[in-house]
Amino acid sequence: MAIRANPKLIEELEPYGAEDVMKCYHCGNCSAVCPFSADPYVFPRKPMRYLQMGLEDKLKGQLDPWLCYYCGECSDQCPREAEPGETMMSLRRWLTSKYDWTGISRLFYRSWRWELGAIVLVAILTAIGFTLFGMSQGSIAHYDGPDAFLPSASIHIFDWVLAGVLLTFLLSNAARMWWFTMGRDKDLPTTLGSYITSAWMLPAHFFTQVRYSKCEHKRSWATHLALMLSYVTMLVLIMFFLTRMASGPEIDWSVHVAGYFATAGLLLGTALFLRNRVKRSSAQYRHSHESDWIFLVLILIVATTGILQHILHRSGLDVAANVAYIVHLSLVVPMLALEVPFSKWSHLAYRPLAMYLAQVRATALARARSGEATALRPGAERTQAHAA
Amino acid sequence: MKIGVYVCRAGGEADDGVNYESVVHYAANLPQVEVVRSMGVMPKLDPEALADEIAAEGLERIVIGGDSPGFFKPAFTRAMALAGREPDEVRLASFRAYGVGGDPATDRAKAIVACAVYGVPFTLAAQPKDTKWNAAALVIGGGIAGIQAALEIADGGKRVYLVERTGTIGGHMAMFDKTFPTLDCAACILTPKMVAVGQHEMIDLLTYSEVESVTGVPGAYKATILRHARRVDEAACVACGVCSDVCPVRVPSEFDAGIAERKAIYIPFPQAVPNAYLVDEASCTYVQTNGQKCGACRKKCPKGCIDLDGHGDVMQVEVGSVIVATGYETLDAARLDRYGYGVHPNVLTALEFERLTNASGPTGGRIVTKTLKHNKRKKVDEWVFDRDGAPPKSVAIIHCVGSRDSNYNAYCSRVCCMYSLKFAHLVREKLPEAECYEFYIDMRAFGKGYEAFFERIAEEGTVIVRGRSASVTEHDGQMYVKGEDILSDSVLEFPVDMVLLAVGLVPAERSDELAAMLGVPRDADGWFTEADYNGDPTGTQRGGVYVAGVCQGPKDIPDTVAQASAVAAKVLEGAITGRGLQSLGSLTLTDIEARAKSLVSVS
Ligand SMILES: Cc1cc2nc3c(=O)[nH]c(=O)nc-3n(C[C@H](O)[C@H](O)[C@H](O)COP(=O)(O)OP(=O)(O)OC[C@H]3O[C@@H](n4cnc5c(N)ncnc54)[C@H](O)[C@@H]3O)c2cc1C
Ligand code: SF4
Ligand code: SF4
Ligand code: SF4
Ligand code: SF4
Repeated sequence: MAIRANPKLIEELEPYGAEDVMKCYHCGNCSAVCPFSADPYVFPRKPMRYLQMGLEDKLKGQLDPWLCYYCGECSDQCPREAEPGETMMSLRRWLTSKYDWTGISRLFYRSWRWELGAIVLVAILTAIGFTLFGMSQGSIAHYDGPDAFLPSASIHIFDWVLAGVLLTFLLSNAARMWWFTMGRDKDLPTTLGSYITSAWMLPAHFFTQVRYSKCEHKRSWATHLALMLSYVTMLVLIMFFLTRMASGPEIDWSVHVAGYFATAGLLLGTALFLRNRVKRSSAQYRHSHESDWIFLVLILIVATTGILQHILHRSGLDVAANVAYIVHLSLVVPMLALEVPFSKWSHLAYRPLAMYLAQVRATALARARSGEATALRPGAERTQAHAA
Repeated sequence: MKIGVYVCRAGGEADDGVNYESVVHYAANLPQVEVVRSMGVMPKLDPEALADEIAAEGLERIVIGGDSPGFFKPAFTRAMALAGREPDEVRLASFRAYGVGGDPATDRAKAIVACAVYGVPFTLAAQPKDTKWNAAALVIGGGIAGIQAALEIADGGKRVYLVERTGTIGGHMAMFDKTFPTLDCAACILTPKMVAVGQHEMIDLLTYSEVESVTGVPGAYKATILRHARRVDEAACVACGVCSDVCPVRVPSEFDAGIAERKAIYIPFPQAVPNAYLVDEASCTYVQTNGQKCGACRKKCPKGCIDLDGHGDVMQVEVGSVIVATGYETLDAARLDRYGYGVHPNVLTALEFERLTNASGPTGGRIVTKTLKHNKRKKVDEWVFDRDGAPPKSVAIIHCVGSRDSNYNAYCSRVCCMYSLKFAHLVREKLPEAECYEFYIDMRAFGKGYEAFFERIAEEGTVIVRGRSASVTEHDGQMYVKGEDILSDSVLEFPVDMVLLAVGLVPAERSDELAAMLGVPRDADGWFTEADYNGDPTGTQRGGVYVAGVCQGPKDIPDTVAQASAVAAKVLEGAITGRGLQSLGSLTLTDIEARAKSLVSVS
């Protein structure tokens, strides 16, 4: 089959953050220093090459960018300042926009004005909606109880509806990811068995991010893990224990302990990442895309307004608490409805999924290869014999 | 005639030393100049807008000033045509073409603009005055470049003072066994030339010496030369070596790139010219203790030619030309810690390998790995080369070490691809059983016969891997070279016993001082700048000062020799006519202006 090249691909990648791809002269240094690059996923040089050649379709089917954790090692050692790490990051943004069938992701990544505008719009609509809803059935003077402005039972239902919407988008996009990277490749001898036997990787990678810990800088991994776990804890609390969280005035410690830890994690994690990005402390923080800032600032605001409404509620200032709650919700909604399926947050789903698919794919490739004679150069064969 | 001057720059960062603002002011005050515009770096020119301006101001001639005004000429020619003027009246005032750079740069740029405004060719107006030319030449640096230039000038019958920093001439080439691509024996080419220099009646060979200052004008320079204390009478010494045998001091030998030792009284290598020993005062016990201790050699010398209390000397010479041939050094491999030089004993630099494989080297040319030996004097175990060491089973050669790398040297060192192939050949020739891997980014086999040499090495069974390797590591006593083979998209780890680093070239130590002394600029990488890259690759900014060999930029031996010969021809030209072409730079702005005006009034 002929391969169609897109000569404008590099230019198209620019708004996603890839700027120095053309500088690469293929010394292979980066692929050799990358702690994650190993047969059959050798990167970041190969994606750099695909980009230079404009092989859009091949890139669309690549899992490699998701296997990179942006430790920055490759960029530090690149002799040409071609920034391979940043290229992998931009490819993840680009892939996200390719998986997304609505086109919203593409819009957001290419223009921060659109992203910010959409967030503000959704926030305003949410604020108006909840205010009208509150006034229609309760009193702003009451935070909880029968006359509550925003009764937790109703909010709970709303949460689940929101989750449903979000999941529809995310899952349909994930399905497209599967299609691009696995499904459409007819020659790949995948089996249902390997999909099942590798399935443990999904939760394992999601919750531990063990791969990330292979990076030399353990701090990034730890911060990232803490932030992610805090976020997930918060999500679980809200989805399943919202009524217990909101009841008052005495504190239900069984859920609040987890809540306090998660809040601290969120605040600390975002603060650390923001500091790194402002200071450009190392290769992976040297370049910040607008979507990175929006991501971090949004979490920070959501966390602080959450804390604020909690404190106000516990101090008996119900009116103020309700106002803070409205602000909080009006940011939570765009965060969940826009950021999770369409922007940086989506990597929460794509990265573990990619690792799982990568495993399935590697198994299939190994099977395919064992059938035919290995087409390695004589030298490489000799060295492998040497090594054995 | 109404004239418009447009100053456009092509090189933004390139520091050509020109104060552009001052040039613009100057141009504004030239007669007939109506419009002066400073257009900045790489301006985007719109011919139609320019045409409007030309028409509005009634301009009849355009002068484009700048480092490379040729870039912008098409836009102006079109603008002139659009404005209905004579397109031929676009004149270039190219600063680069006349070697602007260095101190009088701004004045020179002004003169170039003035000539273009007057419509007089710069070279004509700047025709230098005749000066009486001293036929003698000073050559700084006694590598193959200095040797070649000195011999040709001396053979032409003119006096040469050859100043060499170390105790012998020969430079790097003397360290090599074979030369690429012919695999000729390096010594067979070099030694006769060295001997000829030593014996030539027209060459005053001043080794172990350095130039301290150069004053005067082109054609009549005065150089002060510092002669370090050799402490051995050069003429009387018969190089019997008795002194060295009794000397108790051992230090790493520079000539052997540090892989073998020499004494404090030593000769760099047996064929050194002059063929005489010398005392290294930094390590000699006698000198260091102010004559309190040792002095063993002096007692034993059958010729009585050792003067341990000897001191240096200063001499003055008068010459017409100066030739810079100071060559290069290799990059310090320890700076690239990922290759483990200095950590793993069998990671060697290119020069170390040259000495190892050389029949006159410490192992008699056997390629072996280092052996751990106890050093009784220092009471430590050391990794050293021993004739009976184990030969490596596999050798890796890594290209571009510190070259073409924005973290070190951005430029290509030009000889390392070829010498790496030469190494691969030597390994496979001497150790047919050994594996040899070569890791490269691009194979720069650009010269005559080089591509064929590359193919030959590949056929000999060297595994040539495309992809510069990233690291050298060691587990359980086995070294591994890790790299991506980009042609098969796989990251491979090769177990190897020896790693050779193709380190890049950097300018000789203290080139900066020499450049300042001579008034010759160096480029951003530190190489001496030639007058014009294409038109005058041997001349410099300064009249009567020439460059030859690697000091002007990395190159191999054939190119070095060719450049040295070219310099000799230039020097002889000045010597034969008795009046050299004075450097354009030595004329003042006022001189050139006056001349340009007189030329206009004549025409
Ligand atoms: C490992 C290696 C292998 C190579 N193999 C080959 C090969 O096989 N074939 C080939 O064509 N090329 C080869 N080359 C390149 C070759 O070495 C150079 O082209 C050649 O030596 C350049 O000669 P040169 O005289 O310009 O410099 P050099 O040989 O460096 O000589 C410069 C001389 O100037 C002296 N000097 C420096 N500064 C001063 C000063 N201030 N005052 C007085 N004296 C000074 C130095 O002591 C030295 O003697 C190789 C290079 C390397 C590094
Ligand atoms: S290290 Fe840089 S130049 Fe080398 S292959 Fe990677 S991106 Fe390209
Ligand atoms: S940033 Fe790190 S993980 Fe990503 S490709 Fe580069 S070396 Fe690999
Ligand atoms: S002993 Fe005297 S003559 Fe012999 S090499 Fe030494 S200095 Fe020269
Ligand atoms: S000559 Fe070859 S090894 Fe040397 S810097 Fe150039 S490309 Fe690299």
